[in-house]
Amino acid sequence: MTDTAPGLPRLGTTLFSLTLEQRRPGRDLASLVAEVAARDLGPGLEMVAFQSLRGWPRLDDDAVREVRGVIDASGLTPSCLAINLDLGLYPGRLLSDDEAYEYVAVQVRGAAALGFPAVRVGIECGPEIMTRLLPLAEQLGVKVGVEIHAPLTIEAPPVAALKELFTRLDTPWLGFIPDMSASMRAVPDAVDDAHRVAGISPELTALTKELWAEPGPTMAKFPELERRAAEAGATPAQLGNLRMLFTMHGRMAPERWAEFFPHVVHVHGKFYGIVDGPDGLTDPSIDWPAVARVLREQGYTGFVSSEYEAHAYSDRYSAFDQIRSQHDMLKRLLEAEPAVAAR
Amino acid sequence: MGPLDDQVVRADSLTATADGLDIAVYSHWYRALPLPSLARVDLTVDGRRIDPAELSVTVNGTRHPFSGLAEAGDEYWFTTDPLVLHVPVETAPGREHRVQLLLGLSIPYILTGPDRVPLVAPSATDKTLTAAGART
Repeated sequence: MTDTAPGLPRLGTTLFSLTLEQRRPGRDLASLVAEVAARDLGPGLEMVAFQSLRGWPRLDDDAVREVRGVIDASGLTPSCLAINLDLGLYPGRLLSDDEAYEYVAVQVRGAAALGFPAVRVGIECGPEIMTRLLPLAEQLGVKVGVEIHAPLTIEAPPVAALKELFTRLDTPWLGFIPDMSASMRAVPDAVDDAHRVAGISPELTALTKELWAEPGPTMAKFPELERRAAEAGATPAQLGNLRMLFTMHGRMAPERWAEFFPHVVHVHGKFYGIVDGPDGLTDPSIDWPAVARVLREQGYTGFVSSEYEAHAYSDRYSAFDQIRSQHDMLKRLLEAEPAVAAR
Repeated sequence: MGPLDDQVVRADSLTATADGLDIAVYSHWYRALPLPSLARVDLTVDGRRIDPAELSVTVNGTRHPFSGLAEAGDEYWFTTDPLVLHVPVETAPGREHRVQLLLGLSIPYILTGPDRVPLVAPSATDKTLTAAGART
């Protein structure tokens, strides 16, 4: 296992990183978990329940026993189970608050049965449902974390409302799960592969990356993106792909993750590719030295789940190798002596 | 957009049956989705647009009329399972068909815009494939 020194964040892997691997013939949950362990990509193990667990959210006792057996045999430590509130389950309406609570509660119970100490929900799980979940979380000993994923930032009103709630309730059972997609420094190069397949010209991809990197709120850049993409002859489907780059990759300063503490229950080490640079392993699109500094300064000792997501754009890279590189990089950064305070 | 798009309809997806063409379809989304998420199935076979009302769909071993999926919110299409579209077109083992499919999956936890409407994630396929014979 990639064990970090005591008192530091612990590393791990989410099986979401292996989305393409999961589809290969002969693969099943047991083989993916075993390979994560064999490649020392623990100690933490996270998975997306609806992705990895057939029959979720209604696992019978045999299924629970089987999944627990797979995890136990691997020697990995369950860190977090990603669950979903499918508010838009039915066409033309959203679930009522009672339906939404039940939809999540059954999954929190399922996570507890599987031995996970935390669950991840999305921002659609607002203050009202979170408040209702608190007694259940306490009773089961399962923390409930709202993922802060691009395009969310600390300033987004739903995030601010949750922060106010967590501060007021002052409980360890509810909190945030920072996802590094919200604080990127560049659009990942892996998108080039997907754009080539989608027939988007390299010039248009470059233009979108440039606009993304300019200062200012991302929302304000959509009109210019749409105008210039239309001038360049982009089809509506291609424009949809370009818009997605603005939605999936946020530009919040990584130092601002400090403002989510002490209400952080888990961390998603989202990344899109580690490269071997002149100074060793580095991530061109995420400033990990800055992130590691925040986690260390805040005294965070929970898990950072490596979440490789370039599989959404390209199948050129091995997710296993990428996580290995990220773990090696993170271990070095986390264990480095704290930088001498310059101020 | 992405590597899973090419796997929505695979080389061995077509099967000729007694009542038409079966097309095995795989999800381009990473997680299991409830059946109402199958929001849009724009299917054209050999140039003929197939009205969704003519389709039935087998998932988890149960055959549903396409219109019935919207109410099957407690059933999920698992990540690695195909669902089968039963298409009323004439075919036979060994016959080639051009399959054009725009599959739009409604993503029930990603709500967009002021009206909080689920994102529809599209995947487009255009392949000419050979139908296998039905296994008996």
